[in-house]
Amino acid sequence: MSGFGGVLPWARRTIVEQEKWLTAEEFSAMLGICQIVPGPNIVNLGVCVGSRFAGVPGAIAAVMGLMLGPVALLLVLAVLYEHYSYMPIVQGMLRGVSAVGVGLIASTGFKMLRTELKYPPMVTVILLVILMAAYFHLGLGWVVLLASPLAVLLAWKKTKR
Amino acid sequence: MISSLISLFLKFSLFSLFAFGGINALLPVLYDLSVNQEHWINSQTFSDYFAIAQAAPGPNLMTVTLIGWNVGGVLGAAIATFAISWPSSIMIFFLQRSILNMQDKQKQQMIQFAAGALAVGLVLSAAWQISLQINQSLAAYLLTIGTIAITFFTRIHPLYLIAIGAVLGILGFI
Repeated sequence: MSGFGGVLPWARRTIVEQEKWLTAEEFSAMLGICQIVPGPNIVNLGVCVGSRFAGVPGAIAAVMGLMLGPVALLLVLAVLYEHYSYMPIVQGMLRGVSAVGVGLIASTGFKMLRTELKYPPMVTVILLVILMAAYFHLGLGWVVLLASPLAVLLAWKKTKR
Repeated sequence: MISSLISLFLKFSLFSLFAFGGINALLPVLYDLSVNQEHWINSQTFSDYFAIAQAAPGPNLMTVTLIGWNVGGVLGAAIATFAISWPSSIMIFFLQRSILNMQDKQKQQMIQFAAGALAVGLVLSAAWQISLQINQSLAAYLLTIGTIAITFFTRIHPLYLIAIGAVLGILGFI
């Protein structure tokens, strides 16, 4: 999901296949951790890989390297948006793109859900989170705090299988 | 503007620590903050920023960068991007070694399973909530549902779907 296919596969190819900084297993384990802890996944990955080789400066350099190009391009797009957003064609285009964008996020969620179905009790945690967030509109912090005990309990049972 | 920037920095920093499932899980919270509470942007602009962030190459935290840009130009964009990244970066910096080197494999798995389930719930509810704000026509919902179906059952590259969505929008269908 990070950029269009862009960042992740490319990062994997460079880190594992070309430079051989990490083995495939190390990379997968690292990616697993970076996707579960909160925060922007790709920034987390940059911190993990960068700090592994050069500590704090490495982490900062990796994150900067991942971010500067895309952010610069994005700001150019933002300026273009300011100038042309009144045009019906631009508005229509953005409506189409955002409808697809929401679908892509939902689809990521459903693919993750498919993995969770291997241990059905865990679905209660997912339903609880959806209920609290989408129906009762609780703040994100509350949702995480309230759902965590059940998530940890079921995760512990899941490991015991 | 200074007080807006400070507020933006503090709130985004706090969000960073609760963003299980990445920035996508945060979208409804970002919407609520920037549209309903602070009135930095309106609903339409949020939806347009989301579209631009989706279409541009790069990490999916770009919606955050654009909200910052709207509040305070280039400085705002930098502050917003930094704020959403630093708390979680510091956390992962210290956590990664302890999790990766954990001797107790069962405990390590438990952490992964628990966080994974939270992330699934948050991403799904975020998609649901944000679709209610962004999609304004039946056609838009159909396009969203079609995207879900196509990406779930095929391995088509998302960029093609984004392009199809753009073309349908330009032609006035959405």
